[in-house]
Amino acid sequence: MKLTLNVNGRNHEIETALDRTLADVLRNELGLIGVRVSCAEGECGSCTIHADGKAVTSCLMLAAQASGKKLLTVEGLGDIEKLHPIQQAFIDEQGFQCAFCTPGFMMSAKAFLEECPNPTEEETAIAMSGNICRCGAYPYIVKAVMKAADQLRQEK
Amino acid sequence: MGVMDKKFRVVGKGVPVKDAKEKVTGSMKYAVDFTVQGMVHGKILRSPHPHARIRDINTSKAEALPGVYAVLTHKDVPQNDWEAAWFNRRGKVLDGTVRFVGDDVAAVAAKTEEIAERALALIKIDYEILPHVFDMEEAMKPEAPQIRIEGNLRDPYVVAWGNMGEGKDQAEIVADCDILYESQQYAPLGRNACIAEWNGGKVTVWTSSQTPSELRDGIHEALDIPLSKIRVMAMPCGSSFGQWWSVNFMLITVCLARKAGRPVKIELDNEECMVSVKRRHIERTRGRMGCTKDGEIIFAEFDHIIDNGGYGFKDDVGFFCVDMWGKAAHGHYAVHGVNTNLLTAGCMRGVGDCTLGASVERVADTLAEKVGMDPVEFRLKNQIRAGDELRMQHSRSTMKQTMEEYAASIPNELKESWPKLFHLSSGDTRGLLLQGSEKFGWKNRFKEWGKPHTVNGSLRRAVGVGTGAHVCGVEFEGATSAIVRINPDGSVKVHCSVGRQGQGSETTQSQVAAEALGVPFDMVEIETGDTDSCPWSHGSLASNTMYRVGWATRAAAMDARRQLLEVACREFFDSCDPSELDIEDGVIFRKGIERSNVRPTISQVLNVFRSDTLGQTSSITGRPAVPMPPATTFARHFAAHFAEVEVDIESGEIKIIDYLATQDSGTVVNPQVLKNQAIGGAICGAGFAIYEHLVFDPKTGAIKNGNLLDYKLLRAADFPSKAEVLFVESYDPVGPFGARGAGEAPIAAAVSAISQAVYNAIGVRVDIPMTPERVIRALNHF
Repeated sequence: MKLTLNVNGRNHEIETALDRTLADVLRNELGLIGVRVSCAEGECGSCTIHADGKAVTSCLMLAAQASGKKLLTVEGLGDIEKLHPIQQAFIDEQGFQCAFCTPGFMMSAKAFLEECPNPTEEETAIAMSGNICRCGAYPYIVKAVMKAADQLRQEK
Repeated sequence: MGVMDKKFRVVGKGVPVKDAKEKVTGSMKYAVDFTVQGMVHGKILRSPHPHARIRDINTSKAEALPGVYAVLTHKDVPQNDWEAAWFNRRGKVLDGTVRFVGDDVAAVAAKTEEIAERALALIKIDYEILPHVFDMEEAMKPEAPQIRIEGNLRDPYVVAWGNMGEGKDQAEIVADCDILYESQQYAPLGRNACIAEWNGGKVTVWTSSQTPSELRDGIHEALDIPLSKIRVMAMPCGSSFGQWWSVNFMLITVCLARKAGRPVKIELDNEECMVSVKRRHIERTRGRMGCTKDGEIIFAEFDHIIDNGGYGFKDDVGFFCVDMWGKAAHGHYAVHGVNTNLLTAGCMRGVGDCTLGASVERVADTLAEKVGMDPVEFRLKNQIRAGDELRMQHSRSTMKQTMEEYAASIPNELKESWPKLFHLSSGDTRGLLLQGSEKFGWKNRFKEWGKPHTVNGSLRRAVGVGTGAHVCGVEFEGATSAIVRINPDGSVKVHCSVGRQGQGSETTQSQVAAEALGVPFDMVEIETGDTDSCPWSHGSLASNTMYRVGWATRAAAMDARRQLLEVACREFFDSCDPSELDIEDGVIFRKGIERSNVRPTISQVLNVFRSDTLGQTSSITGRPAVPMPPATTFARHFAAHFAEVEVDIESGEIKIIDYLATQDSGTVVNPQVLKNQAIGGAICGAGFAIYEHLVFDPKTGAIKNGNLLDYKLLRAADFPSKAEVLFVESYDPVGPFGARGAGEAPIAAAVSAISQAVYNAIGVRVDIPMTPERVIRALNHF
């Protein structure tokens, strides 16, 4: 089938089979490798993106379901020349090791901070518990999200 | 002035890791993100049986399926054994016998993954079912089904000293243990893939690996082609913990691509990886220790069994707990490696030291309680100190000489620069325990053994301390090397074969090179994965990276620096002695006359024009000019962890409330990186202590929870965000700028600290994993 996906502010016409997941299409048709796929069962959160501003696991969504939605992946969050405050905070606090999970964590963090701009450390840790970091960078991930929250509040 | 007094310019700085921006923008390429023009897709057929021989295999229908390029069976594969590093796997790529459910049987290359999967279903196999054995102690018996040609049981690995009879007579108090450790799964986040491409009898392999050189060697052994015809391009890994060294699926990809006549990519999904690659061993410790009434340990006697699964071939675990508690006058440790029809087991982070090591710590704790000593005091009294003799005999057995003969064979000028062999060169737990207990407020928080400091309804809170040690790389499989090249523009390229599994090696090795050369950090770039440009290295395993590869990187940089300064002396400094010069920020100057106008840049030195060939050096290539002393005989790294837990005696749940990780890895090269190593180790150890274990089907040995839904990992809310890290920096005489290894002591310390804290909270010992069920059972049993 033919469908139009709006990703990171641009429309893409795609010809694809009905049963393909959104993560698969984003990675393999649009080359967005920042959409990381690990468990493919919605458990690890590394493929988290935004659909109409809400964090979703793109491995559990069919590409066809995303038609008409505004999608945001890590590639649309910021770029190397101009990082998003969440990206900068993850670098400053080194909220990663291998970083396979990092795009997913940052997309979860963005959705969380939009709903809860002034969180406590405990709220942040709970909100970040939908994603898995096997390397165990959790305390630094939480610090990064807290720091990004500060930065984003200042920018408002 | 010793190097220790020197102020470092780059070492010790928390510079962001080199690939930080790639990591946060999602542009970092792992092997799964890599493609080659014309590549097709491979899939592996997996065994439904725990032990069987293939009588007949019919691939004609699979081969006839449109879109299929090749079907690979054991008949297509050279029947050579290949070995992964450290005997994590030994066997043929495929040999017509399967040894666990999930074992590799055959493989298909096809246009798409879907076609390859359909083709797998068309392969017809007539299996002769063989008897199997899952229990490692059953497998040790001579009458058990033998899984390998070499038999199931390896010779015991023994470390013994003193006189056990005397030790037992002298001991006034004895404690013992019998502990069974279930298997932890690496449970990697991220996937791995392997892409192999043949061209004119040469093969190039792209995959995520911590051990590029060892993988190249494995392909050489399996296929019997010259090393010069194999190029491994190792890419960054997702979390690995030792999973991604050389893995048989990589060898299958290489064979399949050769048969298909085109590049092949095999990608393992999480579930396939968890049931087919490897896991931590199932282990059992039986042992005892004895001490005097005032708490001096007299003897230690431990017997430890590890199950290697189908293809592991280890006869020892990295049990540096032997050295840690080696002050005892009498000791006997024996480790037995045995094969079973379960998934292959291998070295997972902290191998041995978070199992046998945890057993030794637990027996030590029992002794401490019996003599009425605080656990910190007991460790201070009985653990190794810098300068003490080491008990591990690893290298002695490979020397095949007496110590005197060995020592006589080492050139004098080298010997003088080496630390005393078989003695701990630097670092120990003393500073960690003293400074850590102070920072943690240990004296106020530890009440007495088996007693919580706070009781609130069904909730019990208490603290625990645990220690861990591990080696800093091993030399038995070869000397590690590196190349440092200075380019004519003054920039620097390091070539060293290490892994990039998130431990920041690309950054810390670059810091070492920048420090040695006196160039800005940003002028250094690094290649870590290309075996055509990087000399052989053991890679990133056994906490090898900073100590041994870092040593080689520094030595290569010093060699390049020497060559550079020789040219500089000749052309700019009136042929003075190179030792009179120094380099800072890429500028060369004569020491003592810093204000002189003669301050050439590296680039100016390398671009001096002369009509003879003494000028215009296109680049300088440095390599280690002397051999590295054998690290196993003197270097260890240490961790002491302090944990506070809350146990609910009604639900059996354990919460980690507060945490302090202390670490002695010598000089801290990058504090941000090392903090993550310490806390990451703590979290992986905490998972092993309270949740993580594989469940095997009792009938087939198949793994029942081989996915991230059923195999529980800690989440952000399960570990205190306020956890802290404290470094104690003892300067090492051999490591680069005084640094040592880092990644494995922390996981060992964590297991023991949390186990002890739980005991102090509820007054009963619980074997790990301390799941709620086990906590409740232990309380009821008590």
